[in-house]
Amino acid sequence: MRPGLALLLFTAGIALLFVSFPGMAVEPDIAAASQITVTSVTMDPAVYFEGDTGIITIEITNNGPESVAIRRATMYDKDISVISSSYDTTTTVGAGNKMQFTFTVKADLPSGIYYPTFSLDFRDAGYLRYPIQLRVDNDPLEVSILNKPDTFGPGRKEQIDISIGNPRDNPVTGTIVHFKGEDLDLVPSSSFVGVLNPDQAQKVSFNVTPQKPTTLDIVVDYKNGVNPHSTKIALPVNFSESKTQAEPTLSNIVVEYQDGHYVLTGDVFNAGLEVANSVVLSAGEGGQPVNPYREYVVGSLQPDDFSSFEITFMAENTSVVDVVVDYRDVDGNPFVRTTPVTIPPKTTAKEKQPGIALPIIAVIAISAAVIGGAVWYSWKKR
Amino acid sequence: MRGMIPELLLRPDVFFSNRMKESESLKFPSIIVIIGAIIAAAGAYVISGIYAEMFAQVPEMGTMSSFFGIFGAVSAFFMFIIVWWLIFSGVFFLISMAFSGNGTFKRTLEFTGYGLIPVLIGSVISVIISLYYLPMIEVPILTGISDPAVLQKVMSQVMSDPAFREFTQVSSIISVIFLAWSANLWIFGMKHARSVTLKHAAITVLVPVVIYIIYVLYMAVAGASVLGGA
Repeated sequence: MRPGLALLLFTAGIALLFVSFPGMAVEPDIAAASQITVTSVTMDPAVYFEGDTGIITIEITNNGPESVAIRRATMYDKDISVISSSYDTTTTVGAGNKMQFTFTVKADLPSGIYYPTFSLDFRDAGYLRYPIQLRVDNDPLEVSILNKPDTFGPGRKEQIDISIGNPRDNPVTGTIVHFKGEDLDLVPSSSFVGVLNPDQAQKVSFNVTPQKPTTLDIVVDYKNGVNPHSTKIALPVNFSESKTQAEPTLSNIVVEYQDGHYVLTGDVFNAGLEVANSVVLSAGEGGQPVNPYREYVVGSLQPDDFSSFEITFMAENTSVVDVVVDYRDVDGNPFVRTTPVTIPPKTTAKEKQPGIALPIIAVIAISAAVIGGAVWYSWKKR
Repeated sequence: MRGMIPELLLRPDVFFSNRMKESESLKFPSIIVIIGAIIAAAGAYVISGIYAEMFAQVPEMGTMSSFFGIFGAVSAFFMFIIVWWLIFSGVFFLISMAFSGNGTFKRTLEFTGYGLIPVLIGSVISVIISLYYLPMIEVPILTGISDPAVLQKVMSQVMSDPAFREFTQVSSIISVIFLAWSANLWIFGMKHARSVTLKHAAITVLVPVVIYIIYVLYMAVAGASVLGGA
C-alpha cells in the first residue's frame, strides 16, 4: 500500500469519526454561548447621587447561528444594593436575537466609581460575567446670584438675576426654581427650567418686593433619574438707604399763618445721584392739609435740581408738622421722606371790627373841635 | 411854665410877644422837644413789637429781634429832634429870609420848640390809640429770612393788615390835626422871631407844613409807615 493512500484513508477515518461523534471534537453549546455578547448598557441616571435609586438596562445579542438557552441572569456587587430580582426563568435567545435585562439598584455609596457585575448563567454552558461601570457623584446644581440691588427698601420692587448651573456629567430633569420668604412679594413665585444638560447654565430673573427685613430662600428642585433633589441658598434682605438714591431735601422753609391756615413755602432739592420722579409734597403728622394746596406736585427732579413748592394745612395744639415728600425711582418704587418743620404759633390778634371805632372817631372829632376852637380863639384874641 | 402853656395854646401872639421881651433861651423848648422825642420813642417801641414778634422765630435773627424795639425807639427819639425841631426851624428860617426876616436862628429854634406842644399832645394820643389797634394786627411769623421775596411779601401783608392800615390812617389824621395847631402857633412865633408880617409868617410856616401834611396823608393812603412821632 502506497504511503499517500494510507494518509488519505487515515484522514477520512478521523473525519468520519468526528461526524459520527460531534461531542468528541468541539462542544456545540459552549460554542453558542460564546456568541452571546453584551451590546448595550443603559443607566438611568447616568451618574448617581449617594442614595439614588436607578435602573440599569443591559442588552445582550446572540451573534451565533444557534439559539442559546439562558438559565439565570443576575447582577451583584458587594457595595451596591440590587433591589430588583434576578431573572431565574430559563429562556432562549434565538440566533441573531437581542434580549434586555433590567435591574434596579440603589447607590448608598459615597462618591466614586463602582463596578457591579452582570452575570449570565447559560443552561448548557458556563457563565458570562460583565462588570458595569456605575458612577456616584454628589455635586449638586449650583445657584449663583448674578445681579441684585445694593440695598432693599420697604415696598420697593427690585429685580434679582440668578444662574442655575449643572456641574454634573449627566443631565438633570424637572428643574424648578422656587422663591420663598416671609413678608416678600415674589413675582414669579417659581420658574420652570426643565432639563439642564451637563455644564449648562440657565439664567432666571424674578422681582422681589420686601415689606420688612427678612431672608429670601431660593430653592432649586430637580430630578436625577427618578430621585428628587434640591439645592437651596439664602439671600438676606436687609433694609438700608441706597448710596445713589434720590434725596429730596427741603430748604428755605417759611411758614406763615394767614386766613385761618398755615402756608408753608420752600424749596425741594434733589441732593441724591438718581432722578426722583413723581415728587409730591404734603403735610403729614401734626397737620391737616387744606385747600388750595393740599398737595403740591413737583414732578420729576433731576439730581442737583430743585423746585419751589407751597402747601397749606391746618394745625392744632402742635408746634411741629411733618412735611412728607413722596417720590419714585426710575423703576416706580415708592419712597417717602419726612421732614419735621417747626411752625409758629397762631397770631393772637383780636378780631378786627369793620370801620373805625366810635371812641376813636370821638377822639378825632373832639380834638378837631378843640383845636379849631383854640385856633379861632388865638386869632380872635391876638 | 404852668401859666405859659395855656397862653401859648390860646393866645400865641401874646405869648411870643412876651417871649421876645426876654433873652433867647432854649431851656424850655429843649424840655418840650425831649419830652416829644421820648413820646415818639415810646410809640416806636410799641409799634416795633410787631416786627419783633414777626422775626422772633427766625433762627438767623437769634436775639436780634429783641433789639427791634430799642433800635426803633432810639431812631424815633433822634428823628423827632432832627425833623420836628431842627429841620422845621431851618426851613422856617430859610423861607422867612425871602421875606427879609431878621432874627437869630436860636430864636427861631426857641419858638419852633414852643410850637411843638400840640404835636406832643397828638403823639400821646397816637400812642394810646396804638395800644388799642396793635393787638388786632395779625402778625405773620417768619421762620426764615433767606428768601427776600417772602420777606417782602410778609412785610406787605403787615402793611395791608386792616387794623394796621386803619391805625396808620387814624394816627395820620391826628397828626395832621395837631400839626395844624402847631402850625398856628408857629405862624405867630415866626412873626415875632423873624420880624415878618403875619401873612409872610403864614406863608413861611404853611409851605413846609402843607407839604409835610400831603406827604403824611399820601403815606397813610399808600400804607407805609410815617416818621416817628405823631
